[in-house]
Amino acid sequence: MGAAHPEAMAPPKPGRTRTAPPQMPSTWWSAPRIRTYLLFDATGFIYFLVGFHAIHMIRALGEGPEAWQAVMSSLSHPLYILFHVVALASVIFVAVRFFRLFPKAQPPSIGPAKPPPGNVIHAMLYVVWIGITLVMSLALSGVIF
Amino acid sequence: MPTTEKTIVLTRFDPDKDETPRKQEYQVPCEPSWKVLDAVNFIKDELDSTISYRWSCRMAVCGSCGMMVNGEPKLTCKAALDEYGSRVEIEPLANFPIVRDLVVELDGFMHKFESVKPWIIRAKERAADMENLNEKGTYSQSTEELADFKQFSMCINCMLCYSACPVVANEPEFLGPAAIALGHRYNLDNRDEGTEERHEIFRGEGTVFSCSYANECSEVCPKNVDPAAAINQAKFGAVIDWAKGLVLPRGGSN
Repeated sequence: MGAAHPEAMAPPKPGRTRTAPPQMPSTWWSAPRIRTYLLFDATGFIYFLVGFHAIHMIRALGEGPEAWQAVMSSLSHPLYILFHVVALASVIFVAVRFFRLFPKAQPPSIGPAKPPPGNVIHAMLYVVWIGITLVMSLALSGVIF
Repeated sequence: MPTTEKTIVLTRFDPDKDETPRKQEYQVPCEPSWKVLDAVNFIKDELDSTISYRWSCRMAVCGSCGMMVNGEPKLTCKAALDEYGSRVEIEPLANFPIVRDLVVELDGFMHKFESVKPWIIRAKERAADMENLNEKGTYSQSTEELADFKQFSMCINCMLCYSACPVVANEPEFLGPAAIALGHRYNLDNRDEGTEERHEIFRGEGTVFSCSYANECSEVCPKNVDPAAAINQAKFGAVIDWAKGLVLPRGGSN
């Protein structure tokens, strides 16, 4: 058997090892899941615009009937319609993602009670969503209330 | 056995020579049954003995062979090589400083682990505790009580979740998925009484509320621990504890 290396049991040298900073793979943004996540994050910009538009409408309401009518007529512009279609698609995309991830964020028990299984919560979210959409659609179209 | 030649691209970094990490290509005759780690081992054994990387068990238990494979964090002993094309790029885990070649620094990660107090905390030993002890002198735990946290105790500390997390990438001080999942595992353990202490840690800056629920940690976890679930359950618990402190005497604690 050969002799042990003379420095095999030597105490470590003082100071820290020089390290290279963390590296991100050059293609990190092209992974499908990351692209979906980036799209999810980007929808925040749409909500910013929707919020800005809502404030603009409230201001117009305060400025009088002419200003309000001007805003209402501008809503029929094809660009506004396109914007609202994109906003609706964003909301559906975020809602579906949220519904998928929400059930597993439930604690295993809340006091003595156990939440229902994840797939039941998932289904309940869709039922509530469809229910609220239905009631609002009926209310806004004047069928109820 | 027929072999397929693949180009394996490794990240190389020698702290004594290199300013920044560089790439080096190797032509490797790969067998169909190989995992990614087998190709790296082949390079080490047959082509270039100077490469450095960590590995041990080869059965997805030790958690030491995590690397970026074509941009995704993988346990290389578990990732089948034939699922990749003719060019496979292997890099050290993203979001970690590189010590050498494919070896990353663990100091920050270990410190984060320690900071969530990953051990059973008893408020104090009480006479009532002795009544709960069974004849073997251990605390009894039912199957249901074990099921509450078992999933979160399956972590092998492979750090893939830190590598995948977009929050860790932007906020290196973020406590991170595995550490929070571990803390949450003890919070769910019925033998533990340290939940309030850990929730106080979780309410601090750079902890659970930094998580944007990208769910990437759970997507890459090789043991299905689902750290994203743990983090978001911990958010709920930390808020409930905080609210109890506002409305109940002594925060609702006994």
